[in-house]
Amino acid sequence: MFDKVEAFYRPASVREALRLLHSGKGQARVVAGGTDVVVQGGDSIRFLIDITRAGLSYIRPRGTDLVIGATTTMAELEASPQIQALAGGLLCRAARTCGSLPIRNLATLGGNMANGSAAADTAAPLLVLDAAVVMADAKGRRKVPLAEYLVNVRTLRYAKFLLVEVVIPEPPQGKGCRWSFQKLGRTAVDISLVNVAAGLQLDSRGRVKWARISLGAVAPTPMRAPGAEKRMTGRILDQALLAEIGAEVAREVSPISDARASAEYRREICSVLTRRALDECSAHAGCSL
Amino acid sequence: MKTMELHLTVNGESLDWTIAPGELLLDVLRRQGYVGVKRGCEEGECGACAVLVDGKPINSCLMFAAQAEGRHILTIEGVAVGGKLDPVQEAFLDHGAVQCGFCTPGMVISAKALLDRCPDPSEADVREALAGHLCRCTGYLKPVEAVLAAAAKRKHKARRAKPVAEVAP
Amino acid sequence: MSGNRLVVGRNLRKVDGFKLVTGGAAFTDDVQLPGMLYGKIMPSPHAHARIRRIDTSKAKALAGVHAVLTYKDVPRVPHTTAGQAWPEPSPYDTYLLDSKVRFVGDRVAAVAAETRALAERALALIDVDYEILPAVLDMEQAMAPGVAVIHDEPDSTKIYDREHNIAGYILREIGNVEQGFAESDYVVEREFRTHRQQHCPIEPHITIAWLDADGRLVIRTSTQVPYHTRRQVAMILQIPVSRVHVIKPRIGGGFGGKQEMLLEDITGALALATRRPVKIEFTREEEFYMARTRHPQILRMKMGVKRDGAVMASQLTVLATTGAYGSHSTTVQGNTGSKVLPLYRAPNMRFECHVVYTNNPVAGAFRGYGCPQGFFAQETLVDEIACQLGMDPLEFHRKNVIRLGDTDHLSAQLGEGKEGLPRLMRSCGLPQCMERGARAIGWAQKRKSLPNGHTHLRRGVGMACTMQGSGIAGVDWASAFLKMNEDGSFYLQVGASDVGGGADTVLAQIAAETLGVTLDKITITSGDTDITPFDVGAYASSTTIISGGAVKKAAGKVRAQVMEMASKILNEPVDKLDCANNEVFTTCVCRQAVSMTDIAMRAMYKEKFQIMDGASHFNTDSPPPFCATFAEVEVDTETGQVRVVHLATAVDPGTAINPMQAEGQVEGAVAQGLGYALTEELLLDAAGRPVNPNFLDYKMFSAEDMPKLTTILVETDEPLGPYGAKSISEVPINGPAPAIANAIFHAVGVRIRKLPIRPEDVLRALAAKRAANLEEEALLTP
Repeated sequence: MFDKVEAFYRPASVREALRLLHSGKGQARVVAGGTDVVVQGGDSIRFLIDITRAGLSYIRPRGTDLVIGATTTMAELEASPQIQALAGGLLCRAARTCGSLPIRNLATLGGNMANGSAAADTAAPLLVLDAAVVMADAKGRRKVPLAEYLVNVRTLRYAKFLLVEVVIPEPPQGKGCRWSFQKLGRTAVDISLVNVAAGLQLDSRGRVKWARISLGAVAPTPMRAPGAEKRMTGRILDQALLAEIGAEVAREVSPISDARASAEYRREICSVLTRRALDECSAHAGCSL
Repeated sequence: MKTMELHLTVNGESLDWTIAPGELLLDVLRRQGYVGVKRGCEEGECGACAVLVDGKPINSCLMFAAQAEGRHILTIEGVAVGGKLDPVQEAFLDHGAVQCGFCTPGMVISAKALLDRCPDPSEADVREALAGHLCRCTGYLKPVEAVLAAAAKRKHKARRAKPVAEVAP
Repeated sequence: MSGNRLVVGRNLRKVDGFKLVTGGAAFTDDVQLPGMLYGKIMPSPHAHARIRRIDTSKAKALAGVHAVLTYKDVPRVPHTTAGQAWPEPSPYDTYLLDSKVRFVGDRVAAVAAETRALAERALALIDVDYEILPAVLDMEQAMAPGVAVIHDEPDSTKIYDREHNIAGYILREIGNVEQGFAESDYVVEREFRTHRQQHCPIEPHITIAWLDADGRLVIRTSTQVPYHTRRQVAMILQIPVSRVHVIKPRIGGGFGGKQEMLLEDITGALALATRRPVKIEFTREEEFYMARTRHPQILRMKMGVKRDGAVMASQLTVLATTGAYGSHSTTVQGNTGSKVLPLYRAPNMRFECHVVYTNNPVAGAFRGYGCPQGFFAQETLVDEIACQLGMDPLEFHRKNVIRLGDTDHLSAQLGEGKEGLPRLMRSCGLPQCMERGARAIGWAQKRKSLPNGHTHLRRGVGMACTMQGSGIAGVDWASAFLKMNEDGSFYLQVGASDVGGGADTVLAQIAAETLGVTLDKITITSGDTDITPFDVGAYASSTTIISGGAVKKAAGKVRAQVMEMASKILNEPVDKLDCANNEVFTTCVCRQAVSMTDIAMRAMYKEKFQIMDGASHFNTDSPPPFCATFAEVEVDTETGQVRVVHLATAVDPGTAINPMQAEGQVEGAVAQGLGYALTEELLLDAAGRPVNPNFLDYKMFSAEDMPKLTTILVETDEPLGPYGAKSISEVPINGPAPAIANAIFHAVGVRIRKLPIRPEDVLRALAAKRAANLEEEALLTP
């Protein structure tokens, strides 16, 4: 409950938002969609800073990058032609699984990152697309690789910063280039027990030119699987390789047991979903196994 | 206790309310008499508190009332116009889609939003639209049937409203 | 079903539908009472502790706090919270507030303050010094020697063996099971485990209490049992029953969780202490662990059959826990025996059950009332036996299930806390339920072969037959009152509690049919202890048959008065008259008629006579509704996920008074049964604290999870029910778990004997099966 809140601000700019955040002296909380902030509550919160009017809802190209404002909602991502076209609609598919429709109308991409949950559904696709985030403080803006951001977001290191933008570099293009997102929950609308995003490109002989694999909900933060990625490069993509990669990924993750699933089960599912993600990529890449 | 002013439109009515800064939209709406907006979980999971904000269904338990400044809210109380039930409401009654009725306002709100943007939904579309509404009474079947029936009726009415000359031979 | 019925049997709109679909003020919380305070219960953080010292001074001193109550401030009256007819067959082991706490969430104190925030702050200011006691969290340890005694207080009564934490014990036998097993060709015994499911009504428990201008305590509350609540609150607060007024408005779901006096006593106490209206509304989290749950059970089931499949003996031994208090402890578990074993015509049956206390959230009534657990065990075991015999499970059922004309003698031994009554099957549509359900799922074809290619997906079909009861024989009773209005309409007053299933509509239809009027001519008021006559409340699938029986009787008496008046007007003897469509008419060729309106006006303003009457009703039997459930599943052998593709439920409810509402009851019960089978479980940690008391972590089925549902009503004509009706609200919840478990076996050859069946349970079973097969192969290899 928020009965100790003294003031609710709706700054019209990032600068104004930062000024309010700074003057709040640790008792201010930034909110956009509220799907995490409201549920988490906070007896110590005195000031709320709603940034949905600070000009951070946009999806647009910047050079060869695609930039997404932090307060862009999941529903807006799903509906955007640019996001649908990006990497075969990878981010779209993930955004679509971020809760029910009423949630997706509120939940923001920035919020999904800033909440710092290992199960955040958009994190794995963004990692696999080598995304970065832009943070702003009184001194200016800083661009940080998403992987680094996710490791630090729950610490105090970014307490003075406002996440303003997600930057996605142009994904690799070309023939044989495909992406996949897989998620397993207990029911249709659920937090991920495990999620996997993958992308790969095959050459004309079915050999892996490059592969990217990232997983969520199976480590303290969403992660890439560099060992598995390396192992795939240059190899013919066949069932044997899929099984090998599935096993490799299971070694790279460190899941926990909780109310939703046990660590052993999650580890098993990592292998299965990784295989399925890579299988889906290869099927669409015009290579049958 | 600190207060602030809120100006918004609810069911077509322009309103000025005094609220506490940390109040949630659900609490303010109920306090102001919109008791059709239900409190079921206060964490955005059950959908009983759903209202339309600028045409989009959201869980009012997750929105701060202050965030509704200047926006258009539709609650269940505003769905029937001039005492005349919306086709979705009629269909819910005709198809036995209402049992205890606690989840019904939220479902009607989401169904209405669905049909407004997608007049010819598939069953999958309807189930997706209702997936954020937990119902413990119906097993969801009759509500889904009701929404599909309402869509069919709206389409039929729209067709019949056309002048005879436009009807294909 | 039979004859020319005009109202009964029709899919008429719910009489309360308009206000529900427009969000009208109808539920407990939809009123604003000036000066209302917010009440809150302080929950115990410990599973088992004594309150050594409790200091409420700081809480009381907080501005805006109007009352803080501890055990020192309230009367100590042992009672049960179970909403049951007096004398309740549950231990009297609960106190309004106590100096001992027995589960995480148990009442420590209660406050009333001007805002919700203040109430929460007041709780935080209550200073408690606990003497922490060893907690008994595992029901398998609860009876062990030397284990802490949970109910060591001397003033609690009706506890079977308090020293060993046994709330209740049941042993019943028909014939001689040992002999029956000896005569069997094949005997199987298996153990099954079931878990804590929570009702999850979308409207949590909520009560508002206030003193009216006459100083009477008014309680507006979300309850299934307004009359039991009135009696219990009066007893606990030590005020006369006549000074308590309980009002049941629209209820946002109950499912048994509200067959309980849960918040009314404490809210009433706060209202008395503050002389202000007080509201206590459970948060969703509180609803999960401070309300009620289903009883977890460990069941050992043993069955002996002849080579040809005839059941010779069945034995069920149950260990259940009722949590910290004994609400519904013996009666739920009694049902696990009495409603389950007699499904089969075994000459020998034995049921034994220990119900123990543990320092866990309290279990209580939940749709099915002990049957989901028992049928999970029995129907899974029966499927195993049939498969072992090489018999089609459908054939096994046909051969062995109870038939029309049979008598169930086990029920005679297992009443509600006392000797019961034998049940005679005067109506039984189970054979047709089996045939039609089997056809709907495609049983014959799919049992032989399913499209299982070389993918990781495997399909299977499984079935279960179940039954329930309709009201508690010799215990459940109801009454109804009707009076006629000027416009030929009738005002129907029933104590019955419509908790959402449409009881008001069904009862109004029965009245309308009997009186020969259309449904719109019945205005119904229900569940108000000042205005409506007594009814035990909405439980045991009693409303249609018992409350409906009272309505039919009362309407019959009023009809007689109407006929008398019409006879005067038409100058014809009563035996030459009939009524329908809002008029009374002569049955001869030269049809003369008089409208109900004219009859009313004549009675009121000429004869100066109010046409009105009432009646009470109970049954001495409990005719079971029957149900056959068929499931088709698809198992993902890589993830263990079980997708239910199609669930067909064929039910014999007697007559369906409103078929559309009846179907809705089936579909809702099935959805709860699906959650019970696959996804729902309230988890507790090693200290007895709830792990997942919210909708994010406790998963119910949503609209996107539901399988294709087929609902088939097989109507029969039950002599004991109004217009042939029995009941339908509980029985369909019993079938999904065993049908799904059996379908999983058909699909992938593993038997899961615990609930819920989670994907990792399936994966583990598959892995174990592979290992066993490999071992077998290794043994066979020369």
